[in-house]
Amino acid sequence: MRENKEDKVVYKTRKKIGKGQYILTFCLSLYTLFCALPILLVFVSAFTDESCFSSEGFTYFPSRWSTDGFMAVLKYGKQLAVSYGVTIGVTLSGTLLGLLLMSMFAYALTRKDFPLRRFMTVFITIPMLFSGGQLASYIINTNLYHMKDNILILILPLCVSTMNIIIMRTYIKGSVPEELMESARIDGAGEWRTFFQITLPLMKPCLASVGFMMATAYWNDWQSALLYITSDSKKPLQLLLINISKSIDTLLNSKNVPSSALAAMQGSIPSNSATMATVLIVIGPIMIAYPFFQKYFVKGITMGSVKG
Amino acid sequence: MKSFGKNMWKHRTHVIMTLPVMILMIMFSYIPMSGVILAFKKYNYTLGMWKSPWVGLDNFKFLVASKSTFLNMTGNTLMYYVIFTLLGTFLNIVLAIAIDQLVFKKLGKTLQSVMIIPVFISYAAVQFIVFAYLNSNTGLINNLFGTSTRWYTESQYWPLILTIVKMWSSVGYGSVLYMSVLAGIDQEQYEAAQIDGANKWQQIKSITIPSLIPMITIMLLLSVGGIMRSDTGLFYQVTRNSGVLYDTTQVIDSYVLNSIFQNSNFGFTAATALFQSLVGTILIIISNFVVRKLEPDNALF
Repeated sequence: MRENKEDKVVYKTRKKIGKGQYILTFCLSLYTLFCALPILLVFVSAFTDESCFSSEGFTYFPSRWSTDGFMAVLKYGKQLAVSYGVTIGVTLSGTLLGLLLMSMFAYALTRKDFPLRRFMTVFITIPMLFSGGQLASYIINTNLYHMKDNILILILPLCVSTMNIIIMRTYIKGSVPEELMESARIDGAGEWRTFFQITLPLMKPCLASVGFMMATAYWNDWQSALLYITSDSKKPLQLLLINISKSIDTLLNSKNVPSSALAAMQGSIPSNSATMATVLIVIGPIMIAYPFFQKYFVKGITMGSVKG
Repeated sequence: MKSFGKNMWKHRTHVIMTLPVMILMIMFSYIPMSGVILAFKKYNYTLGMWKSPWVGLDNFKFLVASKSTFLNMTGNTLMYYVIFTLLGTFLNIVLAIAIDQLVFKKLGKTLQSVMIIPVFISYAAVQFIVFAYLNSNTGLINNLFGTSTRWYTESQYWPLILTIVKMWSSVGYGSVLYMSVLAGIDQEQYEAAQIDGANKWQQIKSITIPSLIPMITIMLLLSVGGIMRSDTGLFYQVTRNSGVLYDTTQVIDSYVLNSIFQNSNFGFTAATALFQSLVGTILIIISNFVVRKLEPDNALF
């Protein structure tokens, strides 16, 4: 191992940095720009003065800047605060609950003498093979469980997934030493205690990577909200975002609205900058959280593709 | 039997540990599976799924009768699957190799971090960004090129637009997996090749790419199972669910979503959904079988 490292150092110092490297750097920077520019446009538009949109359109270099968009967003701030609360609540509770339930399940699966091990493996594999589809889920959830406009429908269906259980099982098998768990049991720790005090703490890197992916999925889930949530008090951020565009669309598409009325309503129509400010507020937290979790989820992607 | 019961009692803690996941999966995966019977029923909301009358194969007859809708959305689903998978895989690999070859490692890491960010932005938010670029009056693209194209009413542009959006969103993230494979290549191989006088291209062609082939094969095979499923948000949100664009943007998943919202055509939709599920299942089983033969570690089951 050490030898290998030294080799690398020699290899690097011997290497001259050629012209190709600079071309490569340029190309990669260009692609990075392609990825970043749309996000930058959200920032710029959120702080662009509303009058600029009609004269200059969306632009990276508006002639006037303003915080009016943000102020407008804060004006309908009550709903925004409620939606933030809903999204944060759903994301946190869903992620934590999912991590706990799935790691418990994965722990039981790694117990070699557990008689239901094979059955459980098959049990979690079947949903990966066959699904009833969106329509069937919708009808069951609304007609049988009566979960329309119930906040639990945002949490429970996304909570457990076969792939994540497999990732966790692989991690326990590969990275949590069997001897450690065994010795805890010999010392008289029950299964619960072994799980909570030995296995779960040692699973931290795995929990971080799976947890971040789950949290992103919860945060970005617009579909269940759109399908099931009707009352304002349970509206998550993504639905708020979608509804903003709906209200613009209906206003602009109804030909019967006289222009004078439109002008009078100007104040209440969510303007371009306000919409972008909302987008920024919605995507902001994920982008702030992402750098902290980056090293974990890179591992997570790799773990997901190769099971032990 | 008695010993089985005894064994189970001994493992009661483990059984309790598995129960919550089992209950959730039964509720949200297994019971909805029974929904496939809708394909053979005339759904009536007040009667519910079970008591609605059977209609035999009528829904499928309807599906054949209105086959243009069905063929259109199935065709779109397949077309986007092929474009996204082939182009996506290609770009993932190019990007992974490019970052791997970069001598400035720190810079490469930073650039890569930025490239991954788009995957975390929901399509509900992406639609506003796309709108900022494409809307006909204030859009950046029309302003920049002095055109007045009405992007949201002309369906011929959308395969290209959706492909760009999809690649923007997923390529940075997708390359991470291939990078982890490249990180595992023994550096001595490159040195040996260098001593033998191989230039960079030759090294990439005969060392880097061959070492990626197993992972590429497996990823492609595993993706086959999802051939009938699409990124619903991309087709529903980014297109603003605009009806005039349907002939190039309607996929099965977005059709189903629309039919739920319009509360209509449940029979037709259920028949389509059953077709979608069955094709998916068959393909997953076949592709998994092949992966199992090639690389048992990567098989799903």
